[in-house]
Parts: sequence; structure tokens; C-alpha cells
Amino acid sequence: MTPDTSIYLHIPFCAHRCAYCDFNTYAGQGDSIPAYVDALIKEINFGAAARPSAHATIGTIFFGGGTPSLLSAPQLASIMDALRAAFTFSSNLEATIEANPGTTSPEFLHQIRAAGINRISFGVQSANPEELHMLERVHDFFDVIQSVKWARQAGLDNLNLDVIYGLPEQTLQTWQTSLQRILDLHPEHISAYALTLEHGTPFGRWSARGMLPLPDPDLAAEMYEWASETLEANGYKQYEISNWAKEVKGQKSKVRPSTFDLQPWAPAFACKHNLQYWRGLPYLAFGAGAHGYAGGYRYSNVLRIKTYIDRLTANSQQPGTAFPLTPAAVNYHRLSKREEMQEAMLTGLRLVREGVSDAAFRRRFGIGIEDAFPKEVDELLRLGLLAWNHVSTDSRLRLMWHARLVSNQVFVRFVE
Amino acid sequence: MTDHIRNFCIIAHVDHGKSTLADRLLQLTGAISEREMTAQVLDTMDLEREKGVTIKASAVRMYYTAKDNQKYEINLIDTPGHVDFGYEVSRALKACEGAVLVVDATQGIEAQTLANLYQALEADLTIIPVINKIDLPSARPDEVAEDVGSLLGVAPEAVLRVSAKEGLNVAQILEAIVTRVPPPKDADDAPLRALVFDSHYDSYKGVIAYVRVFEGSFKHTDVLHLFATGADMKPVEIGIFSPGMKPVERIGSGEVGYIATGFKTVHECRVGDTITRTSAPAAEPLPGYRTPKPMVFAGIYPVDADDHSDLREALEKLQLNDASLTYQPETSQALGFGFRAGFLGLFHMEIIQERIEREYNLDCLFTAPSVEYEVVMLDNTTLTVDSPAELPNEGDILEVREPWMTIEIITPTDYYGPIMDLVTKRRGIFKQQEYPAPHRVQLDYEIPLSEIIVNFFDDLKSRTKGYASLDYQFLEYRPDKLQKLEILVNGDPLDALAAIVHERDAYHKGQRLITKLKELIPRQLFDVAVQASAGGRIISRANVKATRKDVLAKCYGGDITRKKKLLEKQKKGKRRLKMVGNVEIPQDAFMAVLQLGDE
Ligand SMILES: Nc1nc2c(ncn2[C@@H]2O[C@H](COP(=O)(O)OP(=O)(O)OP(=O)(O)O)[C@@H](O)[C@H]2O)c(=O)[nH]1
Ligand code: SF4
Ligand SMILES: [Mg+2]
Repeated sequence: MTPDTSIYLHIPFCAHRCAYCDFNTYAGQGDSIPAYVDALIKEINFGAAARPSAHATIGTIFFGGGTPSLLSAPQLASIMDALRAAFTFSSNLEATIEANPGTTSPEFLHQIRAAGINRISFGVQSANPEELHMLERVHDFFDVIQSVKWARQAGLDNLNLDVIYGLPEQTLQTWQTSLQRILDLHPEHISAYALTLEHGTPFGRWSARGMLPLPDPDLAAEMYEWASETLEANGYKQYEISNWAKEVKGQKSKVRPSTFDLQPWAPAFACKHNLQYWRGLPYLAFGAGAHGYAGGYRYSNVLRIKTYIDRLTANSQQPGTAFPLTPAAVNYHRLSKREEMQEAMLTGLRLVREGVSDAAFRRRFGIGIEDAFPKEVDELLRLGLLAWNHVSTDSRLRLMWHARLVSNQVFVRFVE
Repeated sequence: MTDHIRNFCIIAHVDHGKSTLADRLLQLTGAISEREMTAQVLDTMDLEREKGVTIKASAVRMYYTAKDNQKYEINLIDTPGHVDFGYEVSRALKACEGAVLVVDATQGIEAQTLANLYQALEADLTIIPVINKIDLPSARPDEVAEDVGSLLGVAPEAVLRVSAKEGLNVAQILEAIVTRVPPPKDADDAPLRALVFDSHYDSYKGVIAYVRVFEGSFKHTDVLHLFATGADMKPVEIGIFSPGMKPVERIGSGEVGYIATGFKTVHECRVGDTITRTSAPAAEPLPGYRTPKPMVFAGIYPVDADDHSDLREALEKLQLNDASLTYQPETSQALGFGFRAGFLGLFHMEIIQERIEREYNLDCLFTAPSVEYEVVMLDNTTLTVDSPAELPNEGDILEVREPWMTIEIITPTDYYGPIMDLVTKRRGIFKQQEYPAPHRVQLDYEIPLSEIIVNFFDDLKSRTKGYASLDYQFLEYRPDKLQKLEILVNGDPLDALAAIVHERDAYHKGQRLITKLKELIPRQLFDVAVQASAGGRIISRANVKATRKDVLAKCYGGDITRKKKLLEKQKKGKRRLKMVGNVEIPQDAFMAVLQLGDE
């Protein structure tokens, strides 16, 4: 059975650029949205036309950004329609949209739900007004509460909230409050990311000039550990370094940490789209700056909105490029077997409970993990950063629980 | 016939404009076309061009038609001015009959002005004093002419005044060379004696020997013989520098040129050796050179142990161009297989370090420089120790002696106090003072070499607004209360970080070193304890706490490539760390002793 394919759609528009953000997104180009949506639909059709005949069904769709919720509901519906017409959806399709709190009206939410979008992810980031202000986010926590309520009312019963820790001047206490307030909203899924200072962002510049106190890494570590325990105690299972999800819908009662189990699985509300990335399964990319992985290629599209639109308008004919590339693709790299193996480790080990299955690795590459990386695995086992987990007929190599926060030390050993 | 040959070199304190003057002379004589001209054209090494400093002497031939309407062959040797390369100057001097002494009109007489002048006088050369940079508004040509005149015992008017940069009065120098510098001795008929005064390595033609023919002549077809090594050789090519290598068929007595020997190692053709003809050899070699004595020593280790043989090759090649570099294999418990190399000074060491990294693309780790100690054991045997880790147990030692130097500091009189303070803090002893010129004082001290190799020169410059200059010579070995300062990492002594220090300084040096190391050693997966110990006691300790967080941020829309790039970058950084046992130590840490500064 071929696994399902995923689709990532990039919507590179934001009302305002947040101070820490270096994503491919543009503020003040809202005028281009209609032309962009047309181009996106064209690209979808290119991608679909070029795919091999017996192509897999689509298991997940993800509208990422930028701020996809800046598109109107009819625009999003037209994209969903185009996708539905071009591909075959799996019966239990997961279709996620990223949204900024305060940008989604009840009508909008109803309409996108009707269009087939069944999961929503809000970029909350913090519940603390000063922190939100510093990040230059344009919403406040009241918007979050409102948006979550409306999303529920619209029937969006799979909901993620994003939070950031390790902010400059953030204290353990403000972090705990933020997370507590997020828990009070009972999302099915929570993503907690460490802030990284990126070059070319206001945060990057300020900190280079010493104007922004660097987040203390030890404090950030404490925040992470506190969050990890608290989330598990509240019924959220960690399945990836930065991602937690509920096992059971609507669960409100606390679970004692004594029931802590490390069974290698992903909780019911894990983001299937996310899992697709980490399990090394294929995903198609549409939109400016979108990244895809299919047919043995990693590839990405032109970054700029205007160039993207131009490329798709100019190329009304079937392009010479082969699947999965469309006229918007500018970078593509065919992975060697060695690279595929390295990536299988880099991505698979991020799944902290699932890890990398030796049997699956063998099926895919013809050799076991320890044959492919004898020195690396031996060293990491010795350092106590990795461990084997043996379950019936399979063995899984996994990050040790305490190594989640220093996981780069593990991953660097699997790159050149 | 040698009447129409002149051989001279340009000597000066660093940056007084030797290479720029050489540019103008080359232009004026048409040795180099306007099109080929770049600033300091003789500084061909990348590093020389970048630093604006001459590291290696270079020779070049020009033809000049003088006022007497005669055409002269003039061989010029440009020399480095930095104190570390005084030895290069001494070799160049032996190949010449005259020296142009350049003095910066704004700086006046400085330490290497004197040091190089004395060397030139000792070699019996005719000196042509020249004041340079008269175009600068701050130039004091009259005052400097007076100083130079009184130094040489000539009238101030005899001192030429030029601007090498603007080309002003430069022709006067060529006239002075033709009229004042004697031609070389004419001895074409004698058996061949040619002095190898320098060399460089060419990957096609092997070792290129720079020669000055004192007697006899030779042709490109001759079989030649080297006195010191006893080797015979048929040159691949002979020629002159103009300024590129230009083959000729014959080089006659009094001339300067090169022999492409085809030799692959420097040992087969040493600088200072004499070349003669195999069929009609000279009876005796020319007096050679004293091989320069390395002053400072440091361990060189490849960061990646697999690069060891590449490092050996790099050192071999560098030695071909730089005979003053010495090295021998060394093994460190912490760092594995490497080499212990000797250098003329810290600047020389820096140059070698940069050349290894750039020209040979090797990541290497240099340990902190050390001087060479004499250790007298209780049984009265004497050891020489140039690596602090090798200092025997205190209980077995009768005494430790270290090299002392005499230093001459030349400075405007205003800075007397700060200099005195600097030198005495570093165990220096004042000997005497002189006034080589009005407003200038020369202060003579004796001081341990170990006290001046680290930061001394920079401190001196900063205390005197850049005005003071320094020259030094070896004096003698003297005993003192010296002991080993050891650094332990997670309980194990790290041999490459050991230092020999004065008992008086052990405590605060140990403390500062530990503070510095704590800053430099990155946090690892476990706690790292660093300790300093001296005289059997731990005098300082610190703990580099284990890293708790090393994760990547959000994966943006499945962009695995970007995550991978970040990890690759991190890995690259890691490669520059040296694994010592379990602990990753950055290169800077091995130089931490150099960064302690004062107080
Ligand atoms: N204004 C002015 N600057 C000059 C003159 N001659 C040289 N310089 C500058 O002085 C600096 C040093 O010149 P170099 O010719 O490299 O000096 P050098 O004596 O060869 O230096 P080392 O080989 O390092 O000892 C350069 O920046 C030159 O441009 C001059 O006549 N006038
Ligand atoms: S809303 Fe998201 S994508 Fe847009 S600028 Fe802010 S962080 Fe970046
Ligand atoms: Mg020079």
C-alpha cells in the first residue's frame, strides 16, 4: 500500500511583519491576493497533471504562511475545490489552516469548515501583553479566546495553539501563566517553540547591537522542562520535540504523571501533516517559497509573490520539468541514498516516542541503522543521548527523554 | 667586467617605505611597465599584500642610464623591516656593496633603523641615507636629516630627501648608488664562488636558490656543486629577477641571479651555502651565515588527526621559503601527533600560522608560545626544555634558567616613565640610557625573553602612542624561581595548556587563565571542571556547566533543507574544536595565556 501524500500550500501575506519572523512572507501586498490565488490554482493543476497516473491519495493539506486567514473564505474554498478536482482525497483527510487570532470572523470559520478545512492552528505565541507587544504581534489574548470560541462553534474540533518560549525578558512565571491560559482553552494540540534570533529580522539586528537581552538558554531550558511536565500531566502526549497532542478528545481531567508512558506511538490528535514531514513521507508544495519532497526530490519554489505569479501566468503550457516540479520551482535536489538515510535519522529522531524503526529503515534502504551509521550510533548510545526501544519484532532508535533539549547534538552527527 | 654593476639593498624600520621606494625605482628604470605596476609590487605573497608588510626579501635587476651616459646593471634587494626578520636583512646585506637606509620623515630614527644600520656597517657597506615621506604635512625633514647626519657622521645636506609615494627626488637615489656605491670586485676568471643568500620553492623547478656571484661565472649548462651538502646538480634553469624570473644563459661575477636547482627539499640547497663548478671547483666556500636561532617555540597540531601528514608536508614546503622555521615531531597526550616548531618571534609565528591555514587549507591548533629553558637537574645534568609540559618534577630540579635579552627602546623623551613602569613590571632591569638624537632617548634594559614575547610590544606601543620602537638580542641564560603552571580539565592535566611562570606570578596568572578558559570553553553535554595548579597546589578552579538547550526552532513548512544547513553549519563549527578526551576545546583556549593582558 502506498502511503498517502500531503500537500503544503504557502500563503505569503501578513498584515504586519512580526519582529522575530524571517519566514517568506510580505506585509502590504494584500492587493496581489486575487492574482496569487489564481496562480496557486494554476500551479495545483500543473502539479496534478504531471503526477504519475497511479498517484497516491491525499492524506493531509496544510495552508501555512504567512497568514492564510488573510484570504477570504471563498478564495480558500476555491483552492480546496481545485485540489479536490485535481487529486483524490483520502476519506479521513486532515486539512489545516494557520490563522492569526483576531483575523477570523464566525462566518469565515463556518465557510472554511464547509469547504472541507477541519483543523485550525492559531499563532498565540504568548498570553502576556508586553511579550506580544515586543514580538510586534497585532493581536491580544482576548482575540485568542474569541477566536477559539468561534472556531469551536464553527465545528473546528481539531485545534492547535502555537506558543514561544525563551523570549527576551520572559520569566518562568510569565511563561507558566501563558501556558496555563492556553491550557484553559483546551486545544487538542499545542506547539511550543524556542525563540531563535534570525539574521535580517529586527530581533536579530537588535540583539547584534546588544539592544535586546539574549534569552538565557538555561532559563529557556527550565521553561521547556516545566512545559513538558505540565502538558503531560494535563493529558497532552509529546510526540515530537516541540509538539504535544491529546489522546482523547475533550479530555479535561488531569492525568497523574505516574501514568507517564513512553509507548512508541503518536497520540490521536497529533498533526498528521507534521508526522508526514518527520516520517520522511512525500508532500507536494504549492505557492511562493513552498518546500516539497516527492519523487526523491527536495524542491522549493520562487520566493517573491510577483515572480511566482509571473511564472505561472507565463507558462500556460505544460512545462518541460518533470513531476513533482512545477513552473514555480527554482531549487531542486535529488537526494542520494546516503542523504535519504541521513534525513531519515534527522527527521525520524524528532519523533520522541516513535523514533526510527530499524525494520522500516531496513525495508527502505536494505541495511540496518547501525550498519549505515555504526560510529555515530555507537557514540550516541555511549553518550546516553539515544537508546534502543525493543517492541516485539521491531527495534526503534529513539532520543533519550533528557536529550530532547540538546537534540542538535544528536542531529549534527547525521549531517556531513 | 663589473664596473657597471651595482648591488644594493634597501633597509629601514618597519613601514618607513622600503617597498614603495622599490616600486618607484622599478618604474623609473623601466624594469616594470606602468601596466604591471601595483603598490609594493615586490610584496608578492598574499599575506604581504594584505598586511602591507614585507615578510621575505626579494631581489630584482634594473638597468639605469646615469648622468654620465653609461648604462648600469643595478641589483636591488628589498628587505623586511619587522624585528622578527632581522635575519633576512643580515643575509641580504652580504650580497651587496651598498645599502639605502630609509628613514621616515615623520617618525625619525627608530629601533630597526639603528639595528639594520649597525648590521650594514658591520658588513662594510656604503650607506646612502634617505629621508622618505617628505610629502606628508607632519614631515620634519630638517630635524630628521640632522639626526641621521649626526648618526652617520655626515653633513645633513648629504642626506637625500624623497617621497617614494609621489616619486619625488627618487632619481637622486639612483645617481647616488652609481656614484657612491663601489662596483663589485671583478673576478670573472677565478673559480666560481656564489653565495646562496635566499631561496624559495617552485613546484615545477624545485628549490630556487637566490645567488650572488662573488667570483667566477657560470652558464646554464654547467654542472654545479654545493659545498655544504656535497651535492652536484645540473640547473633546470638560471636567470635573473626582472622582477619575474627571467632565464639567462650566463651569470657573471658581481651579479645577482637565481638557479633553479630542481631539488625537492631545502636540505639539499641551504641558504648560506656556496655554489661552485664541479669541473673547476673553488678551494674554499665563502663565509656562510649563522643559522638564526629560533626564539619562541609552539606546538602545532592538526585539528583533524588525519591531516597530520598534510601538516608535515606544509611545514616542509614552508621551510623551503623560510629557512628560519624549524620543526620536529612532538606528541601531546591531549592533542595527539603534531610538531614543535621554533620561530624568530611571535610575528613570525603568526605569519606561519596564517600561511598554513590559507596556503595549505589546514585547520591547525597552535599552542601558546614558549621560550627555551635550561633545566639543571639534581644530578647536575642539564636539559633544554622548550615545551612547558616537559618540565621535570620540581623535586628533581636544581634550578631552571631562562633566556634573557638586552632590549633597546627608542622613544621620544616624554614616555620615559610609562616605559620604565612597563619594563620593571615584567622583571626588566634598567641598564643605561643614551641620546642618539635630540628628543630621542634610547633605553637599554635586560629582561627575560618570556616576558617580552607576549603582548609586550603592543603594550609598549599603546603606552607611547605608537612612538616607541624596540630591538632585542639574546644576552644569556639566568636562573630564577620558575615553576610549572598546569591546567587540569576534568581532573586530567592538559599538557598543551601548561606554562612556565615566575613563582611570583603563578597565582594571579592561574586565576586569570581559569577565568579566561571558562569564557572560551563552550558548554558541553556534561559539566567541565577546569583547574590551575602550581607547586602542587590547586590555585584556581571553575566549572563550565553542561549545556541544557540546543534545539532548532520551528520547521517552516517542511523546509528540511534549511534545518539541515543549520546543522551542517553547527557541525563545521564543531570541527574546529579539538577533542581532548571527552571535552571539546576551541583553538582560542590554547592561546588563552596570550589574552590575559595586564591586571
Ligand atoms: N605619504 C607617504 N606615504 C608613504 C611614502 N612611502 C611609503 N608610504 C606609505 O607607508 C606605508 C608603508 O610603506 P611600505 O613601502 O610597505 O613600507 P616598508 O618599509 O616596505 O614596510 P615593511 O616591508 O613592512 O618593513 C604604506 O602605506 C605606504 O603607502 C611616502 O613617500 N609618502
Ligand atoms: S504572522 Fe507569522 S508569518 Fe506573519 S510575520 Fe508574524 S510570525 Fe511571520
Ligand atoms: Mg616592505
